[in-house]
Amino acid sequence: MEQELKAHLKKLMASGDVAGIIALKSERGMAKPYLFADASELECLCLTPKYPMASVARLLLDEDGAARFAIVCRGCDERALRELAKRHQVDLDRLVIVGIPCDEEMARECACPEPFPSVVAVGTKLEQWEAEDIGAAYRAMELDEKLAFWKHQLEKCNKCYGCRNACPMCFCKDCELENALWVKHGRLPPEFPIYHMIRAFHLAGKCIACGECQRACPSDIPLMVLNTLLREDMEELFGYVSGTGADAENPLYTKEEMQ
Amino acid sequence: MAETWNPKIVGFLCNWCCYAGADMAGTSRMKYPPNIRIIRVMCSSRINAEMVIKAFQMGADAVFIGGCHPGDCHYVDGNYRTQKRIAVLRRLLEHLGIDPRRLRLEWVSAAEGEKFAQTMDEFAKEVAELGPSPLAALQREVL
Amino acid sequence: MKIGVYVCHCGVNISNTVDVQKVISEVSALPTVAVCRDYQYMCSDPGQEMIAKDIRELGLDRVVVAACSPRMHEPTFRGAVEAAGMNPYCFEMANIREQCSWVHEDKEQATRKAADLVKSSVARAALLEPLNSTEVPVTHAALVIGGGIAGIQTALDIANSGYPVYLVEKDPSIGGHMAQFDKTFPTLDCAACILTPKMVDVARHPNIELLTYSEVESIEGSVGNFHVRIRKKPRYVNVSLCTGCGSCATACRLVGRIPSEFDMGLGKRGAIYVPFPQAVPLRYTIDPEKCLMLKHGKCGTSPKCVDACDRDAIDFSMTEEILEVDVGAIVVATGYKEFDPTIKREYKYGTFKNVMTGLELERIFAPSGPTGGKALINGKVPKKIVFVSCVGSRDKRIGNPYCSRVCCMYIAKQAHLLKEKIPDADITVMYTDMRAFGKGYEEFYERVQKEGIKYRRGNAAEVYEEDGVLHVRAEDTLMGEPYELEADLVVLGTGLEPSDAADAIGHMLHLSRSADKFFLEAHPKLRPVDTVIDGVFLAGAAQGPKDIPDTVAQASGAASHVVNLLSKDVILAEPIVAEVNTDVCAGCRICEILCPYDAHAFDEERNVMTINKAICKGCGSCAAACPSGAIAMNHFRDSQIVAQILEVI
Repeated sequence: MEQELKAHLKKLMASGDVAGIIALKSERGMAKPYLFADASELECLCLTPKYPMASVARLLLDEDGAARFAIVCRGCDERALRELAKRHQVDLDRLVIVGIPCDEEMARECACPEPFPSVVAVGTKLEQWEAEDIGAAYRAMELDEKLAFWKHQLEKCNKCYGCRNACPMCFCKDCELENALWVKHGRLPPEFPIYHMIRAFHLAGKCIACGECQRACPSDIPLMVLNTLLREDMEELFGYVSGTGADAENPLYTKEEMQ
Repeated sequence: MAETWNPKIVGFLCNWCCYAGADMAGTSRMKYPPNIRIIRVMCSSRINAEMVIKAFQMGADAVFIGGCHPGDCHYVDGNYRTQKRIAVLRRLLEHLGIDPRRLRLEWVSAAEGEKFAQTMDEFAKEVAELGPSPLAALQREVL
Repeated sequence: MKIGVYVCHCGVNISNTVDVQKVISEVSALPTVAVCRDYQYMCSDPGQEMIAKDIRELGLDRVVVAACSPRMHEPTFRGAVEAAGMNPYCFEMANIREQCSWVHEDKEQATRKAADLVKSSVARAALLEPLNSTEVPVTHAALVIGGGIAGIQTALDIANSGYPVYLVEKDPSIGGHMAQFDKTFPTLDCAACILTPKMVDVARHPNIELLTYSEVESIEGSVGNFHVRIRKKPRYVNVSLCTGCGSCATACRLVGRIPSEFDMGLGKRGAIYVPFPQAVPLRYTIDPEKCLMLKHGKCGTSPKCVDACDRDAIDFSMTEEILEVDVGAIVVATGYKEFDPTIKREYKYGTFKNVMTGLELERIFAPSGPTGGKALINGKVPKKIVFVSCVGSRDKRIGNPYCSRVCCMYIAKQAHLLKEKIPDADITVMYTDMRAFGKGYEEFYERVQKEGIKYRRGNAAEVYEEDGVLHVRAEDTLMGEPYELEADLVVLGTGLEPSDAADAIGHMLHLSRSADKFFLEAHPKLRPVDTVIDGVFLAGAAQGPKDIPDTVAQASGAASHVVNLLSKDVILAEPIVAEVNTDVCAGCRICEILCPYDAHAFDEERNVMTINKAICKGCGSCAAACPSGAIAMNHFRDSQIVAQILEVI
């Protein structure tokens, strides 16, 4: 797939439609996000590991006033870009999305709801993919079990802000998680459960289920469980699935009455 | 703690409807249990998730939010955002193991003193049955 | 930080339940509290002076008064601290009366709660910031909605003070219900004789723009500057050409075939009509629902009205017009509608022709009415007449527990008028309780009784017909026995409900309703004319059932409030508005989606949101939604609210 992609990107570059390509570059065995501006560099392009490409696009578009870029996107990256666009953080007109699908292993690891973008440029998307229901075990718990579970999990937090920093949907300049009104400064672990509840609530209608937060967490807190449960709630309560539909606004901020 | 436990309810009431309804309960001398501590805001939609979570975090046994009836919001549609925000917050509380009944949203108009008093009565009873909030106990441990 | 705290006893209203001294000792211990005093009545002059003296002598930074609801006296105390040199927004109130002493019985718990509330207010006060009001220019014009006696009086009073008034009436003529009455109680003045001169005054007044057959479409803005869109429905008659001669009406093919709304369906009109001969403006209107030309595009070979009109005033191509006006104040005078007794099925209204409502009987009495003022019911002179009071009033089952305030007296008046017209009539009034509270009312009631009108206490239970004769079955609640009366006329003393227009107007202006669905005044005793919306006032039955003298009094009251407002060139706008910290704003624009007033404007250049202070109403919805905390809601900041939360838990 990698070779096929490189060929595709070379053609795209040659067309002159884009000023560069946002993708991962392999350097000394490490991958880093990179803006490929020259076809010769494409040899170093790599696809793994997963990386929140939408955040890269957001920062890059912010820097440069008018240029158009191509971006190599997985399903989650595309969802993130859509949500960022709704919040005016990226201009989709300035991006050419080059969609790639995830393989089964990757998809399973993320419990991804849709491990492929809307248009797959290269590779073949998984057929009949059904994500694992990671919320199931938690929904079945009694209230006190849930409380004990999260008490145990969230006590591991060392407030490194890795979950927030990795999150492609976190674009605020000031973060409420650093506001001493809500989250006491100089206290570890953060008071249960305000830090994680605020973060989860802020992601309601926003989380696109990329799993970056959980991967970033050094304490292995199953953050995606909370986010997934809220994603389900948003769908159940309002029929809203973040990352889909370019026009749908997060119902939490619209004027309509709840049905 | 030797003191008998009384549920602590933090109430966020919009100025135009529910707060006025609570005033009406007062002017009509209707009686209800003294558990609620009312904080006045102009619109229920002023109350963000952080404030509700903070109240629970600090040991509130329950949080009550009172706004205008659908269609009657003084600010046109603020109450609809409150409604949606609270619906999601209740789910979130439940996911973390906190009984969502501890967070209650009611529409009370400026004329519904009786409804306000009744709601307070019911809610105080309900919270008393639920017992102290588990977060309140944790808060005391920390202190 | 030096905070002064003042705990009010409110006579004994607070101190009977709350141990004021205990509250004081607890609050005095707070580090930010410089002084804590109590007083019998903080709102009284000496109470206010106590605060002012401390501000001056102790140099207080903030003042907290623990007393009644801020909805009651916050403006009073803000004024008091301001007069003493403190920023009024550095004042905070703890509600320990309506929300504590009046609703709790356990003294210890009430005292605990009162102390918590005061501490919460102290914590909030410490974080309050001085705010400065901006001046807003006032548009020197008023809108009056409704052209009944309330709206007429309001409009005339405002106009006579020199301010322009737009008087909007949905019907083709002003006059409202009062124009339908024959005589008024208890003086028996001819309603038309006292009303029509006022109607004419309205039409002639240089300061009144009369907009009949028009409806308010939308209202935006706030006190001092409302922008109103008014929809003028097409009359299909050019009012500047029409002279009101009436040739068209007599010529109309449908003349005498359409039930007249003004005559409660008892009289008939044509498709082109004036509601009544004294209508103002005396200009004809074509009923688009009935007119053959408008409905079918065809009226015989040619419309007869067109042929009859030598002024060429008829114009079938007329369409509705939208008029946009700016006003500084609004008076809602949307009045009432008569209770529809068909839902009280036991009275068989609608089944038997000689069961009629009070308003219908008014039209029978009226000299310009369907019988020319003769007491003829379905062509016959009734001899046995039964009046039933409280139909649709004081009736919890149908959801109207309130008194109509008029049916006792209009029944007395109608009974008197019937007796005058039919001296040998046998008239009985079935009443619930007699309420003759107004000036001269009790005397009139006595007079009517002396005239031979019989009053029997008790509700009518049922009206039924036997051998073509109506029977009214009732229980005499004084004697404790059931009885029955034969009747050839049963008059239902129908009550009052808010007019249908109230719904739309209420929504446009965000007005609250009281339990009876009438508009809620700002305070039942002290601000019966104001609403909680600045610049919006109430007149007449829109606020609650009223008779004519009360309506006129309230109308003049509303007018004086309007004039008071319009006499200012500028007013101070509330500084309680949201503000964007542009250093923090990430430009996500969710605040823009949700603002009900479009107060947000995006600055494309800086990629940040801005809020127009003049438009913002201070709900704080955007501040709550902003993910990064970039929007601060003045006077209701996160920190101020959290400080309160911490104190009450």
